[in-house]
Amino acid sequence: MIGPLIKGLKITFGHLFKPAITVKYPYEKREVAKRWRGRHLLRVDEQGRELCCYCGLCEAVCPANAIRIYGMEDPTFTRSDVGKIAEIYEIDYRRCIFCGFCAEACPRGAIVLTTDYELAEPEREKLLQTKEVLLEKR
Amino acid sequence: MLVAIAITVVKLLIYFGVLMTIVAYGTLAERKVAGHIQDRLGPFHCGPHGLLQPLADGIKLFFKEDITASKSDKVLYYLAPVIAVVPAILVLGVIPIGDYITIAGKKISLSIADINVALLYFLGVSSFGVYAIMLGGWAGNSKYPLLGGLRSAAQFLSYELLLGLSVIGVVMLVGSFSLKEIVHYQKDMWLFIKQPVAFIIYMIAAIAELNRAPFDLPEAESELVGGYHTEYSSMKFAMFFMGEYANMVVSSAIATCLFLGGWYAPSHYLSFIPGPIWFLLKVFALFFFMLWIRWTYPRFRYDQLMGFCWKYLLPFSLINILGTGLVVILRSGGL
Repeated sequence: MIGPLIKGLKITFGHLFKPAITVKYPYEKREVAKRWRGRHLLRVDEQGRELCCYCGLCEAVCPANAIRIYGMEDPTFTRSDVGKIAEIYEIDYRRCIFCGFCAEACPRGAIVLTTDYELAEPEREKLLQTKEVLLEKR
Repeated sequence: MLVAIAITVVKLLIYFGVLMTIVAYGTLAERKVAGHIQDRLGPFHCGPHGLLQPLADGIKLFFKEDITASKSDKVLYYLAPVIAVVPAILVLGVIPIGDYITIAGKKISLSIADINVALLYFLGVSSFGVYAIMLGGWAGNSKYPLLGGLRSAAQFLSYELLLGLSVIGVVMLVGSFSLKEIVHYQKDMWLFIKQPVAFIIYMIAAIAELNRAPFDLPEAESELVGGYHTEYSSMKFAMFFMGEYANMVVSSAIATCLFLGGWYAPSHYLSFIPGPIWFLLKVFALFFFMLWIRWTYPRFRYDQLMGFCWKYLLPFSLINILGTGLVVILRSGGL
């Protein structure tokens, strides 16, 4: 009866001196995988033109209905190489499940998922993110 | 006369301050030990290695909303947290952390009150603690605290008996109830060598009296929510907590006096370190032991708890008393 009790004490005492596996989060951050699915990024090409051509596939494929997209024409071809861009591109992070289907569906690779996982906001409304946040800055 | 009173007041303040500091850092120690045993770090954010955490906890608990359950028995509801803290502080009065010190030619005893029935006083006062839990369980007018209080009453009665019986062996050998004389008796050999059974039973009974794991049935989180302090919040809750840790410190201190040689060093080579430091070191060791036990063993089932007390520990302690009595008689010249 006493033997197992002492064995238990020995095990816990041993663990006292083992290094902790805790990551002190706000101070040190874990490396995430390259293919981590975090915040979205709307990519632009070398001339700073948006790759998104408002085909609407991402909105259609999104299983959580998190994407809202609305197009407009760009006859001067200054903002797009095909003459059509998304006027409104909103991702609702209250709904997004980070499945990555939008990135898979995109025929031009215009939307990708980054490794940025710090998405918390103090207000729910701020989780509805528009092009200003999502568009790639060059 | 005036000088004597002044000395006592100064001693009271110092002892109280030290006890409360140990209590505050006891909570931190508990969380740190728990963390490291589970390969975590424990509190780390406030101050270096979380050393200011007790302060942060204190501030938080002060400013939390103080909720009084609407159908509670108000008098008992307010009385219970007070009773939780007071006995531990009362016992502090008889604990000798050292023999004497001499300041400006005056010999000052290092315990607040040298009473010759210190041990009886400890047993008497510490059993007040059960009222805190019983009344706290009753006054909230809620079923979970009530169940916790009921369990606690039965547990306390059983293990209080063991506490008394385990101490009797020591008292028979020393022939005195005074804690100072008990420590003096251990100058050459600590009593836990002569009374190992009593020491083990004392520690088990003390942990059971403190309602700590593996005997924490009165507050069993997984079945009774928070047990007797479910209905308490803010400072009242903090006082239950303070009471628990103060009681831990105090019963470690009594165990140190009874079995671990009080302020005496383990060997004469080490006696250059002053007595009170040895005393505190031993108290911390026992305190750590209690934490260690808590994070190792799972909780007893209720019938196991009672069976363990009445079927195993009680007979053992009675045999221990008989054996000690026999030795005392044979030594003093036989039958």
